[in-house]
Amino acid sequence: MEKEHGHGKHQYGMVIDLDKCTGCGTCMTACAAENNVSVRPDESDKQRSIAWMQLFKITNGKEFPHTEVSYFPRPCMHCNENGRGHHVSPCVSVCPPTATQLDLDTGIVSQIYTRCIGCRYCQAACPYKARYFNWWDGYFPKGKGLERYLSPEVSPRMRGVVEKCTFCHHRLMRAKTKAYAEGRREIEEGEYITACAEACPAQAITFGDLNNPKHKVSQLIKSPYAFRLLERLNTKPKVYYLSTKDWVRKMADNYLPGEFKPVTKIGG
Amino acid sequence: MEKPAYSSAPSSKNGFISSLINRILKYDKSSTFLPPFSLGGWIFFLAGLIPNLILGWLIFPMVLYSSQPQPMNFNHALHLNPDKVDGIEGDTETDKCLFCHEFREDGTFAGIPKLAKCTECHDDPDSPLGESAPEKAFLTNYVAEEKEVPWLCYSRQPDCVYFSHIAHVKMGEIQCRVCHGDHAKTEKLPVYKENRLTGYSIDIWGRNIAGYKRHTWDRMKMDDCAECHTKMGHEENNACFVCHK
Amino acid sequence: MSIEITRRNFIQFLVGCVAGIHATPLPWKLTDDIAIWTQNWPWVPVPPVGEFTHVNSVCRLCPGGCGIKVRKVDERAVKIEGRTDYPLNPGGICPVGMGGLQLLYDETLRFPGPMKRVGPRGAGEFANISWEEALKLLNDRIARLRKEGRPQALAAVDGNPRRSTMSVMVERLLRAVGSRNYLNIPGAEDLSSMVGELMQGTEAPVAFDLENADYILSFGCGLLEGWGAPGRVLNAWGLWRSEPFKGKVRVVQIESRASNTASKADQWVPIKPGTETALALGLAHVIIKERLHDTRFVNDYAFGFNNWRSGYGKERMGFKEMVLKQYSPMRVAYVTGLNPDQIVSLAKEFARAKAPVAIFGKGKGNLSGSLYEAMAVHSLNALVGNINRPGGALVPEPLPLSSLPEVIPDDAARRGLEQGRLDQAGSWRYPFTRSLVNNLTEAILSASESPVDTLLIFSSNPAYTLPDGGAFRKALGKIPFLVSFSPFRDETALMCDLILPDHTYLEKMDDVAWPPGLQYPLYGVSRPVVDPLYNTKHAGDVIIHLAKGLGQAVGSAFPWKNYEEVLKARAKGLYEAGGGLTRFEEGQTPAWKMVNKASGSRPGYKSFDDMWKQIKGGGLWYKPSPAERNWEGLFKTPTGKFEFFSSRIELAFSRAAEKRPLQAVLKSMGVQQTGDEACMPHYEEPRLNVDRSAFPLQMVPYEMINLASDWIPNPPYLYKSLFDTQLLKDDSFAEINPKTAAKYGLKQGDLVMVKSPKGEVRVRLNLFEGAMPGMVYLPMGFGHTAYDEFLRGKGANPNDIVHGPKDPLSGYPIWWITPVKLVKV
Repeated sequence: MEKEHGHGKHQYGMVIDLDKCTGCGTCMTACAAENNVSVRPDESDKQRSIAWMQLFKITNGKEFPHTEVSYFPRPCMHCNENGRGHHVSPCVSVCPPTATQLDLDTGIVSQIYTRCIGCRYCQAACPYKARYFNWWDGYFPKGKGLERYLSPEVSPRMRGVVEKCTFCHHRLMRAKTKAYAEGRREIEEGEYITACAEACPAQAITFGDLNNPKHKVSQLIKSPYAFRLLERLNTKPKVYYLSTKDWVRKMADNYLPGEFKPVTKIGG
Repeated sequence: MEKPAYSSAPSSKNGFISSLINRILKYDKSSTFLPPFSLGGWIFFLAGLIPNLILGWLIFPMVLYSSQPQPMNFNHALHLNPDKVDGIEGDTETDKCLFCHEFREDGTFAGIPKLAKCTECHDDPDSPLGESAPEKAFLTNYVAEEKEVPWLCYSRQPDCVYFSHIAHVKMGEIQCRVCHGDHAKTEKLPVYKENRLTGYSIDIWGRNIAGYKRHTWDRMKMDDCAECHTKMGHEENNACFVCHK
Repeated sequence: MSIEITRRNFIQFLVGCVAGIHATPLPWKLTDDIAIWTQNWPWVPVPPVGEFTHVNSVCRLCPGGCGIKVRKVDERAVKIEGRTDYPLNPGGICPVGMGGLQLLYDETLRFPGPMKRVGPRGAGEFANISWEEALKLLNDRIARLRKEGRPQALAAVDGNPRRSTMSVMVERLLRAVGSRNYLNIPGAEDLSSMVGELMQGTEAPVAFDLENADYILSFGCGLLEGWGAPGRVLNAWGLWRSEPFKGKVRVVQIESRASNTASKADQWVPIKPGTETALALGLAHVIIKERLHDTRFVNDYAFGFNNWRSGYGKERMGFKEMVLKQYSPMRVAYVTGLNPDQIVSLAKEFARAKAPVAIFGKGKGNLSGSLYEAMAVHSLNALVGNINRPGGALVPEPLPLSSLPEVIPDDAARRGLEQGRLDQAGSWRYPFTRSLVNNLTEAILSASESPVDTLLIFSSNPAYTLPDGGAFRKALGKIPFLVSFSPFRDETALMCDLILPDHTYLEKMDDVAWPPGLQYPLYGVSRPVVDPLYNTKHAGDVIIHLAKGLGQAVGSAFPWKNYEEVLKARAKGLYEAGGGLTRFEEGQTPAWKMVNKASGSRPGYKSFDDMWKQIKGGGLWYKPSPAERNWEGLFKTPTGKFEFFSSRIELAFSRAAEKRPLQAVLKSMGVQQTGDEACMPHYEEPRLNVDRSAFPLQMVPYEMINLASDWIPNPPYLYKSLFDTQLLKDDSFAEINPKTAAKYGLKQGDLVMVKSPKGEVRVRLNLFEGAMPGMVYLPMGFGHTAYDEFLRGKGANPNDIVHGPKDPLSGYPIWWITPVKLVKV
């Protein structure tokens, strides 16, 4: 498994330990609250509802009582490559107005709502369905007062644009601003973490700089149990998962019969 | 890329648009299309031209912007004059600005000071520190009522813009005036003019309707940010996510 | 020269216009401005910028009481986060707590001020009235009841946790007025208190040292569904899966459905719902038979393990004999649906673990449970001697809060207090239960005229949350005057005649007295994060105000100016007890570790006032005390020992039998066993009195952590985390096994009616392999008829069709085995 993130200075990434993940959905709520994601009266149409961090439920498919359930929290993967060896995410390579970019310094895939023309090409290009189209304006009816909890750090979106997880980019800005106030140019590990990583009550999500060998994330991804979603598309996502369960790891990609190799040797 | 072969092909095959272009380029007196203007023609031409120039240069700016006075005057020059006002200190001009327009502990910029900042000096509603009428009005209307002054902001950017003052002022050592102009010497606050269409201050586009920029502080559009970034050798800061949220 | 307007001239004019306008900034500027305009639609909100601050407080959306840090921009609260400087939940909170701001700011979810009903009950038509007017209405009503000599017709249903100051205040008000009809919504904590009282002799709920345990045997506890204090349990779950515990802690979940807890546990033991008691006793059988039990504990510190002789010399059966005779793995396997080997290996694993702990409390613990079941589970902890040891079940001392001065009832009140409780809790029929809302419902429904004239409803939504097939709703209809103190427009409030809205938890000061199940005493205090948004009043202050308006006698029971003074008065006891801490720092040794280390904790305060200031500021008082290894003098039961055979139960039986035959006593209590077993945890199959051929399936309600099913409305954010096999448009889903579906010719997504003897609800079907065949699982938290468009009319509420007998001895409703059938729509 290739785990280099050579490009750029920082490569922020995430490791989600699925053995710890309890499927509680706090990450989703924290994300929506942090990023002013609009909630509509009907959120059950999953083609239309917006969740930057989405929880997917999987089962091992075995009969009762051998059934097991597990969860995949899925943020934007912030892919480093488009699958054909180019240093550009699949969505970025197709965006006509350059409304989304792969930032070289941080590895974060941006999304500029005011630049987005709503063509949804990026949505089609994203293998992880991490991009969401605003079919409506945010739901803030007059007199309901819901706009009162909106955070000024993230722009509320309008109808007709695509949005997605930004690794809480504004928190990077917040951390930088704080560092500048203290006369530092660099930020420490832990000063910038995403809202989901911060909120997880079971500490299943770790966030940090994959390029910094001292950061916990860059150590965690060396585990033999570490994997990425649809790894063989070669999109080089910066979101890793850990699971000691073979059936969970097998779900992460499409394997031919007999092709999946369970972890046999632990260590290294 | 090579030009497609058909661009110079006879016009008849290529429809109306290219035939029109060909006609204009290869203007031929024998052609009946667009003869040279006669004198009468020039009059009609000018009759169209001049009112439109007037409309565009004079009427349009008047219609586009509404003028609103600030709730009260603030005399920057007076406050920064050490002979008149004591206590606003700072080694540099920037430091003096930052005395009121301060950075908060978390590094965020407070912008126009809140009432609490003013009352650090003007703490008693009954005893003005100076003799000016605006100060008295300020004390009775705002300090005594504990009401914030509804200042109109000349440099408010759209919601999609993220701007870190501390990155520029502290880390970049850029003086306030580079973007905001020299407010320190003004005795009167300029009239606030708001673009009726966008809702933002005229100062973003610049007071010059043509967008002509003589000083760095004349305009605050995205291109102006990028221009400076590039000039200072920080081209990486022209990435979208640096200034957008 | 004449100027004619010819076609040609006109074109020349137009060319002039076009040339002219393009030589001005107009088109270019306008293009730019229109572009900006389209990016700034007036209906897309622009959140105002301002100064970022944060306020530390305590979440009071459930009894768990996590520490929360609320991020603010000027006066607005914009985000709730977990506190890293709180020992209970270092950093994390649950999804409901995370979405709390939607409950604060959603105006249509809340009452903007005191209101009077103008439409029919339940329609939600109210008119604004002033606080003065509203309080006078209630005041006159209560004064009239007292004048008429029937103050007992004032009753209260209260959802505040039993030990909280609010619950003390409500009960106190009723006592001062002259009514014993204070009813607390029953939950797992009440059951745990009863187990503590009967087996350990201390009324404090049993606590569990989960973080230090290495084998957690959970009898249906939704550890990942919100059981206990969710912030603490989820954190513990993360710890168990991290170094140095990784691979060393084993979690075993006993539950019929592959819930999150069951799936994520190391082992899932699927048993028929309601047979947990049998399994616990079956495990006891194996442990005793294999001599894996702690002989020192059961011989020296326990009573009723071996056979014993009563005062009259009669030989009585002990726990050992009962278990060995009646709960062989074969028999238990038959009852529970497991195989005998599984039972044997489970028992061995449990007994051989270093620090095994068996825990009880179904689902989140919001609902009542079964007393014999909880006792059976707790007897496993006793068998392995893991009581008051690190990683075991603890016998906690009650939180040392000062008790408030005694209420001195006046004559009018005394007359009312002489009357028995309407729910018969504490009477010979239900000797150990503190309150039984289901019995109040029966009393009202069976009487021609409601014995309750005025019902006060605090922090609860019984019309929606009670698992009673809608009976409480019917009872409400018979009560002449209903008063709600809810800040939210919930189902119960919509039926009320008078609304005296409380602040929400983010607008007020209140306490969390020891989160459920926590192994060390913790007292949390919330504080106003924002100023009250609407014309609401703290229910505690309203009570004080109300009492003072009811004359000297009632008023003198409330000598405080405001609710904060009451909190302070109670907290004084914490100071007097000495040794507690008011600060927890990020990165400090976790409080559960300090439990082991008897570290000399130095309180950082000098006086009580100083301590109170710190509690108010930090919201916290806690006392990590070392777990006692000494069992000497620990148990305050009549025998002074841990009781497998409860002498209090026996005493209650014999007292009740003084006036009537024992058989009749047991029958009234719902106990089928008549021998010595009745005083010990034992398994009885509930009698449903229903033709099972008409209702061949069983409906089991289940709870989810990402869907609030208690009185707190569900924050709309959480609907994002529900799958479209849980809620689709307006339909919620029942989970059934594909085999069950095949048997009845049903498919994924089919619309069905789930019919029980109590009624029917419409749901869609989700075929789930993790569902036990023969069972129908309905999620709790759907089917609201109140609140706003986010919650109303979504899915079905399983409480509406719950049908079952009462739990023996405790009298709580049994809600986990409703007989149902499925009818395709």
